[in-house]
Amino acid sequence: MKSVKLGTGLAFWGDSIRPAIEMVERADIEYLCCDHLAELTMSILSKQKSKNPELGYTTDIIPFLRGVLVKCRERGIRIVTNAGGANPESCGRQVVALCKELGLYGTRVAVVTGDDIMDRIDELLDQGIALENIDTGRPLADVRDRVTQANVYIGCEGIVEALEKGAHIVICGRVTDAALYLGPMRHELGWAADDWEMLGAGTGIAHCVECGGQATGGLYSAGWQDMPRLSSLGYPVTTVFENGEAIMSKPPQTGGGVTVGTVSEQLVYEVLDPANYLTADSTADVSQIKLDQVGTDRVRISNIKGKPAPATLKVNMGYRAGFVGEAQFTYTWPDAVKKAKAGLEFLAERLAQVGFRADEERVEYIGRNSMWGPELVSNPDDPELPEVVVRYAARCASAADARKVFTESVPLYNNGPAGASGIGTRPPVKELFGIWPCMIPREFITQKVEIEEVQP
Amino acid sequence: MTRRVWDLAHGRSGDKGDVCNIGLIARNAPAYEILRREVTAERVKAHFGAMIKGAVERYELPNIRALNFVCRGALNGGGTLSLRSDHLGKVMYTWLLRMEIEEQG
Repeated sequence: MKSVKLGTGLAFWGDSIRPAIEMVERADIEYLCCDHLAELTMSILSKQKSKNPELGYTTDIIPFLRGVLVKCRERGIRIVTNAGGANPESCGRQVVALCKELGLYGTRVAVVTGDDIMDRIDELLDQGIALENIDTGRPLADVRDRVTQANVYIGCEGIVEALEKGAHIVICGRVTDAALYLGPMRHELGWAADDWEMLGAGTGIAHCVECGGQATGGLYSAGWQDMPRLSSLGYPVTTVFENGEAIMSKPPQTGGGVTVGTVSEQLVYEVLDPANYLTADSTADVSQIKLDQVGTDRVRISNIKGKPAPATLKVNMGYRAGFVGEAQFTYTWPDAVKKAKAGLEFLAERLAQVGFRADEERVEYIGRNSMWGPELVSNPDDPELPEVVVRYAARCASAADARKVFTESVPLYNNGPAGASGIGTRPPVKELFGIWPCMIPREFITQKVEIEEVQP
Repeated sequence: MTRRVWDLAHGRSGDKGDVCNIGLIARNAPAYEILRREVTAERVKAHFGAMIKGAVERYELPNIRALNFVCRGALNGGGTLSLRSDHLGKVMYTWLLRMEIEEQG
């Protein structure tokens, strides 16, 4: 039976590159699949691109490739990544430059585009594509003038084409996470673009492995104590068979573990209706999935079903949504709780004195209810507490107002209630981007693949 | 006998927009049956009170003995807008693990 061996290289922008370096040295893989993008990432990247047209990709791809590329070329391992983000073309140029620097002539670098519809929004609206928010039903007009980025979650067809044309590195923008894996599966296993059963299976398998260490013992709630050497966690190595089953393992001599439990926790991560896991390439049904321990750190994944891909593709737009200002401070015994409350009043009064305006505010007590808020866990009231840590955050329309939060908290150090510390240094004011999820009929989207062979 | 969900299950949670999904995985087959009976969408919604503004839906994955709760309006506007420290709902599942359930018989 035909099979393909896929390694998970990275699971998010900023993820450790060491697991991938170990993987290409120690594991038997044919592809290294790397997901760099989360919902917010595209907004951050498009902001970078607007300031510098050469930026807008996840820059960690360069040190990542510096660490693995020579070995990948030596061993015939091909790399599929969405590090292109908001600027796949520029990312491609940087990767070509790196290949030259490393002397890796003959390397074919593919760039897949077609996901970016920012320049087509008005044309689409004119054509009757409403682009209304699928969560709220609201029309795009609500945020149209604040939209900074619009990207379609596109499927794996561009990746398949690039691989068929002999690409060694495939750089994409906002392809689905699953497509990074499904592309190599389709290319190697010969699955047709409408083989829904297999595409569903492949999508489900991709979901099990795309988050890297989250499937191999990272964050394992049932038994984190028993996971060996989490600091040297190995990422998933997955053999996918042409019948839609897979064996997941990890590189030898790495930390963590691959068990039915660890894979189960990843399987339920960020899933809505498990019988209808919608992606650009298929509708996967993982509701009847079977996981079996077939050896040490080896789990068989089977019984994933598939249905036709939806007629529409998901679009995520990012829109400017104000700024966050934050302050944090600590009070100590005696009367730490009373002092913390007085400190908050001090901050509120000082903010009022400078005309501060906020759309929403939040107070959390770290060590007590910072994960839950007063909605679930009451604020501290024990007068004997050795310390109380307060976090105050506010969402503001303007950066200037957001900046005031820290500025007006600084006087707590000298002028406020006794026993203050832990104010820290000025945090950067964070711009917020809302996500506008909407749909577009798939016939409006065409992918484009360009391949450059690195020459001396 | 009163037990916690944690005695019967482990879990994980994550975000999609303003939706937080919480997966519970039963530790064994009898535990799965108790979870299916006791941990209803309504109870989960009530357990989170004002933290979940929208509806809660429950889905089943019987072969891995898991329940998936899709909680809408649970992330203070969504991970990119939320003022919460846990803006991505990474630890929401642990609050569900704390929930007490009555075990019959």
